[in-house]
Amino acid sequence: ATMWTDSVMLAGLTLTAIFVSHTAGVSAPGRPRLTGCRSPEKETFTCWWEPGDDGGLPTTYALYYHLEGSETVYECPDYRTAGKNSCFFSKNNTSLWVNYNISVVATNAMGSSVSEPVDVDVVYIVQPNTPEDVRVLVVDDDPGPYLHVSWEKPLAADTQSGWITLVYQLRVKETSQDTWEEYNAGMQKGYNIFSLLSGREYAVQVRCKPDHGFWSEWTSPAYVQIPDYMLREHSMWIIVAVFAGFLLFVLTWTVNVKRSSVKHCLLPPVPGPKIRGFDPHLLKSGRSEEMFSALVTQHFPPTSSYDDLLVEYLEVYDVEKQELVLGVKNEDPLAPTRTSDNDSGRGSCDSRTLLTERYAEDGDKGGADRQLGQCVAELASPPLEEEKVEAWSTPFSPPPLHLQRQQVGGARAAYHSVLEIPCDSPCAPGSYGHQGESDISKPGGRGASTTLAEPQAQSAEYVEVQTVDHENVLLLRPLADPGGPDVDYAGEDYSKIRDVIPDNVLLLQREPSAWPCAADPGQDRGERSCPTALQELMQPCKPPGPLQQGLRLVANGYVDASAMLC
Amino acid sequence: LKMMLLQGWLGILFCSIHGMLGSVLDCEVGGVHCTMSIEMLLDRAIQHAELIYRISEETRTQFKETFIPLALVTQQGHADHLCTVILPTPSSKSEVGQISDKWLLHSVLILVQFWINHLVDLQASLDHYDNTPQDLLDKTKWVSSKLMSLEKGLLTLIRKVRWDVLLFFNKNSIADHLASPRTMEHVMRDYTMLSCFRKDAHKIETFLKLFKCRQTDWPGCSFY
Repeated sequence: ATMWTDSVMLAGLTLTAIFVSHTAGVSAPGRPRLTGCRSPEKETFTCWWEPGDDGGLPTTYALYYHLEGSETVYECPDYRTAGKNSCFFSKNNTSLWVNYNISVVATNAMGSSVSEPVDVDVVYIVQPNTPEDVRVLVVDDDPGPYLHVSWEKPLAADTQSGWITLVYQLRVKETSQDTWEEYNAGMQKGYNIFSLLSGREYAVQVRCKPDHGFWSEWTSPAYVQIPDYMLREHSMWIIVAVFAGFLLFVLTWTVNVKRSSVKHCLLPPVPGPKIRGFDPHLLKSGRSEEMFSALVTQHFPPTSSYDDLLVEYLEVYDVEKQELVLGVKNEDPLAPTRTSDNDSGRGSCDSRTLLTERYAEDGDKGGADRQLGQCVAELASPPLEEEKVEAWSTPFSPPPLHLQRQQVGGARAAYHSVLEIPCDSPCAPGSYGHQGESDISKPGGRGASTTLAEPQAQSAEYVEVQTVDHENVLLLRPLADPGGPDVDYAGEDYSKIRDVIPDNVLLLQREPSAWPCAADPGQDRGERSCPTALQELMQPCKPPGPLQQGLRLVANGYVDASAMLC
Repeated sequence: LKMMLLQGWLGILFCSIHGMLGSVLDCEVGGVHCTMSIEMLLDRAIQHAELIYRISEETRTQFKETFIPLALVTQQGHADHLCTVILPTPSSKSEVGQISDKWLLHSVLILVQFWINHLVDLQASLDHYDNTPQDLLDKTKWVSSKLMSLEKGLLTLIRKVRWDVLLFFNKNSIADHLASPRTMEHVMRDYTMLSCFRKDAHKIETFLKLFKCRQTDWPGCSFY
């Protein structure tokens, strides 16, 4: 019974102790762990472990080992040399090509625990120390300086007897950069590094490895400064570049100064045709007459444009008469279409006003004759061409003499025919002007009585359109003085055109002369139509103002006979 | 008679020196009957040893990955202890320092001859497995051939330095030594064998390098 009670008490105490220990936070230590073993020279080695949980109590650690093939267990000979939690095996305790079975035991008041066993063969765990005495020298050489790195073997490694064979490795980097450049140096203890940049600082490190083992740690970096140098080739190229730049500058400046002459030399200007007074555009437009006229008129400056003349050709009317004219004009179904002219629109061929014109002195009568016929034809076809319209716009003005002729010549096509005296034979050949009666009679055998003679400065007289026959031929007659009693529209009263003065003014003879309605026997129509036309012309209008002896000029060169007509 | 003895000794001495200094035709040039210097023979021997070691390591690793499951790896320590010293070889630098050059070279030769014999057994054992990779078998065969050429080189070297082969080992005793743990699985035994071979290959390499540094002025053996 006491035994039973004793055992119960013991059990109770144990349980209490365990309970107390757990509540108090103490326990047996946790398992330690061997982190690794290393041999720096294949003669000694060291093993390290990390402790586990100490269980809240002071714990001691012990390392035990045994060799393969032997059951004898030895404890670590040296716990201090290699530091805390380590075991150092000296040369006497180190055997090679033999496996060590090592384990660590942690012990505290509560208990102990054993680590996992580890098998170690010393020849396979060799990691040498870092190389010694790393020196870096800057050596000046022809293209540029290079680095000569030298070092010594680690202190403890016995390479002399061949016990351990080491290979070395070094690495270089610029201090400002991040990447290293590695070089294998083999078994030698020196190395040259080339192609380094001038003026930079470099760091060099070395490490070593046995033929079968681990790499050592890198040595602490050795710093070196590469001196500034200029590559010989670079200096030469710089000089060449500067010289070339200078030459280029000089050349550019010279070219700039002599800009025009260089341009003249390289790109000689192509001479173009230039004749004074000759407008090549006229060639393109095809108006040869005008062009050649330009050549002829050399004395005048060719610079003035016809547009200036156009301005002078503006028609000037009194308001009243303009209305009359316009009124007349509008009724005329034969009014041709006009695009642009400044006059009131009265055409030469279709208006009933008298159209007078001056022929050129140089005798363009042939042209006039031609154009007379033309104008007649034109009237049959109402729409006039533009060029003729343009001609209308420039009939008579007081411009210089030559230009007058031009325009007159151009205008002849439009105007001249109107001046045809429709009544053929009865019209006195000499009734119009002094000269050239026969000229006018040529076209169509019409009345040749009218001629536009050479210009003679004589007093101006009015003429009026007496009739317009069915062929759109104007029958003209001189206008009598307003005071004169001769104003008789019923009768046939013609006036001779004596002259065309420089101002494109027709000079008419005063004395009235009979205008035979039918100049030729062939012109029966005209004979018949004369009075008929005349009848048509009789319209009520206000009596003309006092007829002036002088000319009554109109802008477009017409002699305003409309007033007289009334 | 004394004169004759003297002449004889001188002749032998000259011949030995001549032999030790090497002959006229080097094997670098090429040719059937050429001679190699001791340094060249040693270099070749060391190259062989390095290669053999590397292949033995690869073979062992490959064997472990192929045949030994993870659970059994932890027991490898127990297997390795079977690699007890077959012949007394130095196991520390101090011991090596006490061995003569002759013994050093002989130790290498013995090791090489040992493993030439036992790799044959290993190959036979590997053929018995179902899924032996061909690469593994090729490697073991290659290693055997290299060992044999190393043996030839060593014998030439020994003859060159005019040493007699002193030691002979009974091959049977070696085989008995290894064959004792019959309880082990075949796999583990083969693995142990490979491990031991790897260790001995490292030994061979180290001893040859030691010998080279003793005999020649190799830069790798510099003091500084």
